[in-house]
Amino acid sequence: MSAKISRRDWLRRSSIAGAAASAGAAAAEPVGRPGWQGADRVRQIATNCEMCFWRCGVLADVRDGKVVKLQGNPDHPLTQGRLCARGNAGTQLLYDPDRLKRPMLRTGARGEGKFQEISWDQALDFLAARLNDLKRKYGAESVAFFPHGVAPAFFSTLMKAFGTPNSAEPAFSQCRGPREVGYALTFGRGLGSPEPVDLEETKLIVLIGSHIGENVFTSQVTAFGTALERGAKLIVVDPRFSVAASKADWWLPIRPGTDIALLLAWMNVLLAEGSYDKEYIAQYAQGLPELTAHVREFTPEWAEGITEIPAARIRETARAMAAARPAVALHPGRHATWYGDDTQRARAMAIVTALLGSWGRKGGIFLPTALNTGHTALPPFPKPARERADGAGTLYPLASEEQGLTLGLVRATLTAKPYPIKSWIVYGQNVLESLPQRQQTLKAMARLDLMVVVDVLPMEQANYADLVLPEATYLERYDPPAVVESARRPFVSVRQPACEPLYDSRPGWWIARELGRRLGLEAWFPWQTPEQHLDSIIRPLGIRARQIGARGAVAFDGRPYIEDRKPEDGPLFPTGSGKIELASPMLKQLGFDPLPRYRPVEDPPAGYFRLLYGRSPVHSFARSENNAWLDALMPENQVWINRDAARDLRLEEGDRVVLENQDGAASLPVLVRVTPGIRRDCVYMVHGFGHRSRALRRAYRRGASDTALMTRIAVDPIMGGTGMRVNFVRLRKAGEGA
Amino acid sequence: MARYAMVIDLHKCVGCQACTMACNSEWEVPAGYARTRVRFAGPEGAFPNLVASPYVAQCNHCDNPPCVKACPTGATYQTDEGIVVIDRALCIGCGFCVEACPYSARFLNPVINKVDKCDFCSARLEKDLQPACVATCTAHAKFFGDLEDSGSDVFRLVYEQGARRNESPAAHPGPNVYYSGKKANVDLALAAFPPRPPRLLTQGRFWKGFVKPLVLGMVGATFLGQAVAFFQQLKKGEGQFDD
Repeated sequence: MSAKISRRDWLRRSSIAGAAASAGAAAAEPVGRPGWQGADRVRQIATNCEMCFWRCGVLADVRDGKVVKLQGNPDHPLTQGRLCARGNAGTQLLYDPDRLKRPMLRTGARGEGKFQEISWDQALDFLAARLNDLKRKYGAESVAFFPHGVAPAFFSTLMKAFGTPNSAEPAFSQCRGPREVGYALTFGRGLGSPEPVDLEETKLIVLIGSHIGENVFTSQVTAFGTALERGAKLIVVDPRFSVAASKADWWLPIRPGTDIALLLAWMNVLLAEGSYDKEYIAQYAQGLPELTAHVREFTPEWAEGITEIPAARIRETARAMAAARPAVALHPGRHATWYGDDTQRARAMAIVTALLGSWGRKGGIFLPTALNTGHTALPPFPKPARERADGAGTLYPLASEEQGLTLGLVRATLTAKPYPIKSWIVYGQNVLESLPQRQQTLKAMARLDLMVVVDVLPMEQANYADLVLPEATYLERYDPPAVVESARRPFVSVRQPACEPLYDSRPGWWIARELGRRLGLEAWFPWQTPEQHLDSIIRPLGIRARQIGARGAVAFDGRPYIEDRKPEDGPLFPTGSGKIELASPMLKQLGFDPLPRYRPVEDPPAGYFRLLYGRSPVHSFARSENNAWLDALMPENQVWINRDAARDLRLEEGDRVVLENQDGAASLPVLVRVTPGIRRDCVYMVHGFGHRSRALRRAYRRGASDTALMTRIAVDPIMGGTGMRVNFVRLRKAGEGA
Repeated sequence: MARYAMVIDLHKCVGCQACTMACNSEWEVPAGYARTRVRFAGPEGAFPNLVASPYVAQCNHCDNPPCVKACPTGATYQTDEGIVVIDRALCIGCGFCVEACPYSARFLNPVINKVDKCDFCSARLEKDLQPACVATCTAHAKFFGDLEDSGSDVFRLVYEQGARRNESPAAHPGPNVYYSGKKANVDLALAAFPPRPPRLLTQGRFWKGFVKPLVLGMVGATFLGQAVAFFQQLKKGEGQFDD
C-alpha cells in the first residue's frame, strides 16, 4: 500500500522536523505518527495515561487539534497496547464541561462556592504576595503542601525551595506506606509502584485482601490473566467473594482483622514441616531461631479459632505454597492501611515470602534494576528553620519524610503544635475524600489563612479554597518522565501533550515556574521547556527527548533475579545486617515487636457491620465519577450485604439504605446489593462515590462515600499510617427514622 | 475463505469493561449503549462454596443469523467470512432485527437512528489490526481469529480445548463467539444468559405478502428519488455542492 510509511522513515522525518520546532521557548510539538485511519485524518501522540497512577502507555488520536480517541500504545514496555476502561474513557475528562476553567478567587464564605474569575497574572501575583507574607509572619514552614501523583513534582521543588518541609500525600499514610516499611524492614528495600510481583512466571498467586480485576492496573491484570492461563494456582484471602476469589483454587473468607494470625499459622506449618526453603534461608536470612520459637504456638488449630478458616485449609494452602516455592507470588497488596497493625502484617507477609525463598526469584518478587538517569542541576534547597510538623521521622520513627503524614499536618493545623500551619496548597489530592476524619479536615481548613487548590475538576474541597487554579489534564501537558525501575525491563516513559490546554487551564510545570519566578526562586527552574528538563534526565541513558517522544517509552535490560545481579546493583539485602531480617533488630531497637504478633481488633457491636471498601475497575478513587462514559458504566456504588443478614434486616436487592456509623455519621442513600458473596460480619462498598460538590453535575450525590463514615482511625505506631477498617455501620432504609 | 470467530476465556476475564469502552470509543457508540459489554453471573451457592463468572455479550455473527432474515431492506447481511454487518445506507431503523437477535446484541443507536452492533471491527481487520476490544483487553481474555486456520488461537481454543457456543435447543443459530474457562464457571455464565428463541416477525404471511414488498418499494422509491436529485445536482455544476 502506497500510503504506508515505514516506522524508521517516520522517526527520521519527525526528528528533523523537531530540530526547528524546539528552538523556541514554547513547548515543542510532540512527535506524532499516523493513526490506522490514515495519516491525513489522524495523528497519534504517544503519552502516559493518568486516569489512575499506573502510567500506562497511551496513543492519543488527534484530529484538527482535538483528541478523538485513546488507545493502548503497543510500543509501551509495560502495558504493550492494553488499556483499561478508564484509560479508554480519558477523553471524557479532557472534554468534561464541568472542568475548572479559569483561576478563581473566593468571594463568599468558605464552603459556599462563590468565586470571582481572575487572570493568571492576578492569581499568581496574589499567591506570591500571600506566601511571602506568611513566610515573613510565621516562617516558610507554616505553608503545608498536599500533592498527589507526578504532576506536582515541579511544585514540590518549589515548596522545598520556598523553605517548607511540610508536604504529605495519602499514597503513604492512607495507602502503601505500611507495605513499603514492612518489606524494607525485612529485605532492606520497599516495593515501589508498580510493585514487582512476578505474576508472569509464577506457579501460585496469593492475594491477601488484594482484589486484582476489580482493582485494575492494566499490566498487572494482563500478567494475572497470563498466569491463570498458564495454570497457576490461586489462593485468595478475602472476607468477600471478589472477582479474583471467583477464580481461586482456594478462597479463604477470613474474619476481618485476623490476617496476621493466618500468616503466623502458615509460618508455623512451613517451619514445623520443614518445607521452607532451607538453603535460601541459611544463605540469606538471619533470625530463624527466634522466628521458629515465636511461631511454635501459632498452629493452624490456634488460627482457626481466630480467623474462622478451618485448620485443614490453612495446612493445605501452606503446603501448596511449599510445593510451588520459590515461584510463589505472595502479592504485597497496595492499599495497606487497615487496622493500625499494618506494618506488622506487611512484615508477616514478607517473612512468608522469605521462607518460600521467593524474594528475588523467578515467579516470586523480582528485583528492581536502577537506571542511571541524570537530573537538572539545582541549587541546594534551604534547610527548613524547623523540623516537620507532622511527626514523620520523630513521633513516627519510620514514616517517610519524603511522603509525610497527611493527618499529621491536619493535626498540626488544628492544634498549632508544634507550630502553626497557616496555609494549605492542595495539588491533585482530594483531602475531603482521601483522608479519613472529614470533620477534622473541615475544621482545620476553617483555621487557615490561605487555602489554595490546584486541580482539574471542581471537587468539594475547591469550595473551601481562597484561590482555585485550573490545571491542564494529562492529555494537555508535559509531566516529569516516569523512570520505572521496578519492572522486569526497566523503562522511561513520557507524558506529553496531545492537544493545547483547554479554557484557561495551565500545565503544572508552567504554574510552578511562573509562581517560582514571582517568589524569586527561578534558580530552581533552570530550563526553558519541559522537554529540556526531560532531556537532562534521560541523556545519561543515551536517549533524547525527541526519540522517546515518538514511541512514548524506552526500555532497558533488567536484572530481576538474584542470579542476574551485578556488583553495580549494590547489596542484595540492604538491611543493617546485609541479610533478610526475619526478626527485626530495627523494630526491637525502637521498642516494637521484632516479630509480628496477632492482636485482636475490636469486633462490631450488635447490629453493626464492619465497613470494608475497595475499588471498581471503571473508576479511580474519587476522581472519575463525573466522567460521562464511566458514569454510564457505573453511575453509583452499592453496599454489599450478606444474604442472610439482609433477610434478618428485611432488606432486598435494590432497596436504598442510609449507613450510619458508630459515631452517628450518616451516608447518602445507597443501593443494597444482596449476595451470598460476603461474610455476615461486614459490608462492602466501592470507594469514591457520594460527591458533595454541586459543580460535579453528574457525580453530585450519586452513591455513598465510605470516607464520610470513617470518623475513627487506628494509627500504626511504627509509621503513622491510618487504619481505616475500624469503622462499623448499621443500615436503615432511606426515608425511615433512626 | 476465512471463518472469523471470537473466544472469550472466562477464567481470565475479570469483567473490567475495557472492551466496552474501547469499542464505544472506536465506533462512537453513545454512552449508555454498547456493542459489547461484560455482565456477571452469580455468585450462587451456599457460603463459602460459591461460583460466579463474568459473561461477555456481543453479536455472535451466527452461521444462520436470524437478524438477516428479519431485515426488510437487506441492510443486514453476512459477508463471505461470516461477519454479520449492517449497511447503514440501507438501514431504516425499523428494529425488526433487534427483536430477532437471540443475544440482544443489537440496539437502535439514537444518534444516527439506525441499528448498531459489533461487526468484529471490520474496518480494523482490513488494516490487519485486531478488533478494538481484543487489542485493549487487560486480561488478554479475548481471542479473535480464523477458525479455518489451524494455527490460530481460536482454532486451538475451539477445536482442541473445547470452547463452547452459547446455544440451547430452542435457540441454535450457530454463534461464532465461544466461551472457555473452568467448567462450573462457563456452565453458570451460559445458563445465566441463555439465547432466547428468535422472534421473527418476518415469518408470518402478513409480512411476506404485504410489509416486505411495501418496505422494499419504499426503499426503491427513495433510491430513485436520490438518483434524480443527484443528476439534478450534477447538472447545476460541481461548485454547487454543499459538502
